[in-house]
Amino acid sequence: MKKVIAGLIISLAATASLAWADGKVEVFTTVRYDQFIIYQSLAFFWVGIAGLLVIIRMKLKEIERIQKLGLDKKEEDAPFLE
Amino acid sequence: MNFLRLKDWFSERYDLGDLKKMAGEKLVPVHRYEFLYYTGGITLFLFVLQFVTGMILSFYYVPHPEHAHKSIIEIVTKLNLGWFFRSFHHWGAQLLMVFVFIHLFGTLLTKSYRKPREFLWFSGLILLGITIFFGLSGYLLLWDERALAAVKVATGGSGAFPVIGHFLMAFLRGGIDVTGETLIRFYAFHVAVLPLLTLFLIGFHVLLVQYHGMSVPLSVEKEGYTHVPFFPNVLYKDLAIWLVVLGTVATLAVFLPPEIGVKADPLAPTPENIKPEWYFLFLFQTLKLFPGEILGLNGETIALMLIAGAILFLFLLPLFDKKTSRGEKSPLFTWIGIAYVAYFVIMTIVGYLS
Repeated sequence: MKKVIAGLIISLAATASLAWADGKVEVFTTVRYDQFIIYQSLAFFWVGIAGLLVIIRMKLKEIERIQKLGLDKKEEDAPFLE
Repeated sequence: MNFLRLKDWFSERYDLGDLKKMAGEKLVPVHRYEFLYYTGGITLFLFVLQFVTGMILSFYYVPHPEHAHKSIIEIVTKLNLGWFFRSFHHWGAQLLMVFVFIHLFGTLLTKSYRKPREFLWFSGLILLGITIFFGLSGYLLLWDERALAAVKVATGGSGAFPVIGHFLMAFLRGGIDVTGETLIRFYAFHVAVLPLLTLFLIGFHVLLVQYHGMSVPLSVEKEGYTHVPFFPNVLYKDLAIWLVVLGTVATLAVFLPPEIGVKADPLAPTPENIKPEWYFLFLFQTLKLFPGEILGLNGETIALMLIAGAILFLFLLPLFDKKTSRGEKSPLFTWIGIAYVAYFVIMTIVGYLS
């Protein structure tokens, strides 16, 4: 009996793998949990990007403010402090 | 502390003062068309992404007609994040093509090709040709029936050129027909020949941009404009845009992974309703407009000659547009530019819908 069941399982697996080979290949996981992990990672990735965008924006504003005040220019005749 | 020591070690050997000075002195004009400056940066960034993801994929891809298709299935189904890198490479290529065309059409319509930037235009157009060939060669590497048919059509078209046609077709295919030899040849083009040419040409292109500075449209030149330093102002904006592009490609890669078709069989008949990639559609649609025979001559040959003539005219445009070079308005060439853009867009849409 055990041999019959094992044989059935093997033949089923072989048929399934053949059907898979002939049919459409899954290019994205069909496992719900894996899908959730991937979407969650993508969401975190975008949160990271948004954070970096905010930092860049703040930095750029600060640079523009300094440039407007003319503080970024080197003073050629500035005295040396010993 | 260690970083400071490393910096000192480096400074003792190399003088970075000139580089710092150059970066500080590089100015970028500010005007209403300045967004076009960023398209070049995006294109460069996407090229880098393609190089990185392409390198990763090349570790696992097998360029052999018997194993190519299977190796892609294995990359997608068995390799950790393999599906993601393949999808990312696919969408990176699509976006790269979009931005290469936007960059080209922007340059064309603002007439940034005018004297003294002729070589920037020439190198840019050669880079466009290389990018398209990158797309075509990469498409065949999928080794599925659609890719095989598309490459048959694309390389078959080159055979209709008079005199050099047959040589060109045999050179591209590595034989009379598209076979396993073509796959190996296209792989060599895709991972060795084209990247080398691209690196050289991008280097040359970027060097020329540094040498000439950013081009300003004639209308803006007359109105007057201000400047901002490239470093750090424009570089920060570039970084922000690159981050958004990176996120967009990753999102497309996750939500729209490309399908894997049926394995290619060079002996099987070409499947019906095969369409090339979107950036070939305008050419495909143009070829369809011509009948099989015109005044006893091959219609396809005439169509290809006309297309080649139009591309050559576009390539040599800076030499023909004398008025713009003198700093005068040249509405004729503005309309020619609009005609090129309109033709490309309309024919691509018609080709997609038909």
